[in-house]
Amino acid sequence: MFERTKNLRLSVIKQIELRAAKFPGVISLAQGVPSFDTPECIKRRVELALRRGVVAKYSLSPGMAELRELIEIKLAEQNMFYDFEKEIVVTAGSIEGITATLLAITNPGDEVIIPEPTYTSYREVILLAGCQPVFVPLNEEKGWAFELDRYEAAITPRTKAIFYCNPNNPTGTIYSKEQLLGLAELAKKHNLFLISDEVYKDFLFDDDDVKTSDVESVKRPSRTSDVSPTRIFSLAELPELRKRVIRLFSFSKSYAMTGWRVGYLHTDESIAREIIKVHDCLVTCAPVISQYAAMGALEMAEKDVKFFNQQYKKRRDLVCSRLDRLSHIFSYVKPTSAYYIFPKVLKKDISLDSYDCPESFSWKFALYLLEKSQVAVVPGVAFGPNGEDHIRISFGRSEEDINRAFDRMDKLFL
Amino acid sequence: MKPFFKILLKYYLKYITKLVLVIHRPMIIVVAGSTNKTFVRDEIRRVFIEKGMAVRANPKNFNTEIGLPLAILGIGSGYGSYRDWLPAMKNAFSAIFKKNFPEVLVLELGVSQKGDMKYLLSIVKPEISIITNITQRYIESFSGLDRMMAEYEYLVKNTQASGRVILNYDNESVRALGKKAKAKVVYFGKTVLAEDGVRIESILRTETGEIVEMNYKGKKEKISTARFGEHYAYSAAVGVIVKEGL
Repeated sequence: MFERTKNLRLSVIKQIELRAAKFPGVISLAQGVPSFDTPECIKRRVELALRRGVVAKYSLSPGMAELRELIEIKLAEQNMFYDFEKEIVVTAGSIEGITATLLAITNPGDEVIIPEPTYTSYREVILLAGCQPVFVPLNEEKGWAFELDRYEAAITPRTKAIFYCNPNNPTGTIYSKEQLLGLAELAKKHNLFLISDEVYKDFLFDDDDVKTSDVESVKRPSRTSDVSPTRIFSLAELPELRKRVIRLFSFSKSYAMTGWRVGYLHTDESIAREIIKVHDCLVTCAPVISQYAAMGALEMAEKDVKFFNQQYKKRRDLVCSRLDRLSHIFSYVKPTSAYYIFPKVLKKDISLDSYDCPESFSWKFALYLLEKSQVAVVPGVAFGPNGEDHIRISFGRSEEDINRAFDRMDKLFL
Repeated sequence: MKPFFKILLKYYLKYITKLVLVIHRPMIIVVAGSTNKTFVRDEIRRVFIEKGMAVRANPKNFNTEIGLPLAILGIGSGYGSYRDWLPAMKNAFSAIFKKNFPEVLVLELGVSQKGDMKYLLSIVKPEISIITNITQRYIESFSGLDRMMAEYEYLVKNTQASGRVILNYDNESVRALGKKAKAKVVYFGKTVLAEDGVRIESILRTETGEIVEMNYKGKKEKISTARFGEHYAYSAAVGVIVKEGL
């Protein structure tokens, strides 16, 4: 019984949220949810669609043609050229796209390499597909970078894909173009797929200390003809990798639309054709009302994304300055993207034996913080073995919440 | 936005736009259809830029009652904010006195409900009209296919008699519209005879894009694009027709 699901875990983030719910005054910096509401222009687009009565029926399985057309145009602005008719699939959030992709490209028993620490649900989806996740640690000393020789060493005849998140959750770091090209060489050499989850690509903190090879300045032909700050490099830009790269994006983070469950993936026609079969089995199509919301997002919400990015940068700076006050407790790599920071816990001389949870320092430390200061964070081990000794702090929450949470931690540690 | 303000804005922009068009008299090319409008629009724009002509095209979603005038005037939208609409309205008025208006306007027309086309054509009178294709898309907003087709028929009938109507021959509904035109009709597609328009003879996908071979009245043309998808072949075919007519 339950052979397929017996090794799956309920997300650690959900477990922490459940425990946090027992503390009425808790401040949660655990969930990766933006504090913002969906922009008004998107809501107006949806209201119009509702009034016109066009949202009640299924769309085509890969999504509404007009949305896919818009996505193709948007991708072309980012130097990625994919055919909206055959190579772009609108999904019910990126996790559905990931699931459909893994079910389509792997066979049971295959191995999928994931750099870690990384997003917790990857492991579960890989297991659900009957495959084995193979964790390869990132190097914290080098700003959570890939070490290519470790990837090469992890590749076996059963390896089917390398699956990474860029910018990375939970570290908020960006893989350099050089590192990604190295990964591409490995994929070519060993005939592997590359799955690139780029849901945080719109949040880039244009710091002087970000290497220019990691991000590229681009002039977008947008309605205001303004210069967008930067964009990350994606392997999906390289035509020679079209038959290897499956790139995923979600509207959840960039447009504060986590509840709408809409995203997309794109890849070569030969792969997209197979993924659509699974996507059709899983959800038939992404929710049509959310597809209208996605159109509104792409057509009108560019300035909202810029605003969110500015706010997250401010919050990142705030969190870093607050962590600096606790430098005897935490060390950290400064995030350059997303809305997470992944500090290492330096203080180990805390009595944590009484906590009823998996045998892990980061788990116990997270529960300690929750109990002593009513601040919820995610234990680093949730993101892979290499995340142990760390916690993930989300700065998707408001500045006020961040300050209140850190005031409580100051009381506990100072 | 409150309905009253929207109506006021709609007519304010409409009459300023009409005045600007009377003053500057640009060549007007419109692109309509269910899909592929943007790619065709971009291809036509490219053709005119190559000829060294000043051209303005609408941004993707600026193709409806308020978006179209904004696109023609070359000003930004205030979207849902009254405060942002004030400078937009001021800019619209200033556009009347601006010099260096483009010689050519390439405009997508968005038709999503009955009467849309009539309203948009009360602003612009196209010299060249292109219909890319007509599918079931947007049909929910009309009470049946005939009502939706009537919108496109209105465009075909109201294209200047001295101009041209360019139609996708491969789409049966679009092809049938040719009979309604007062202007000269030119077709494009895979199934059209080369004497009636641009015939797409082959589309070959390579690692770096598509190679399209076309035949226009016996004259062969081969183009390669760094993009992927059959719609680029159709866009290229329209580009050839527009270029030949210049």
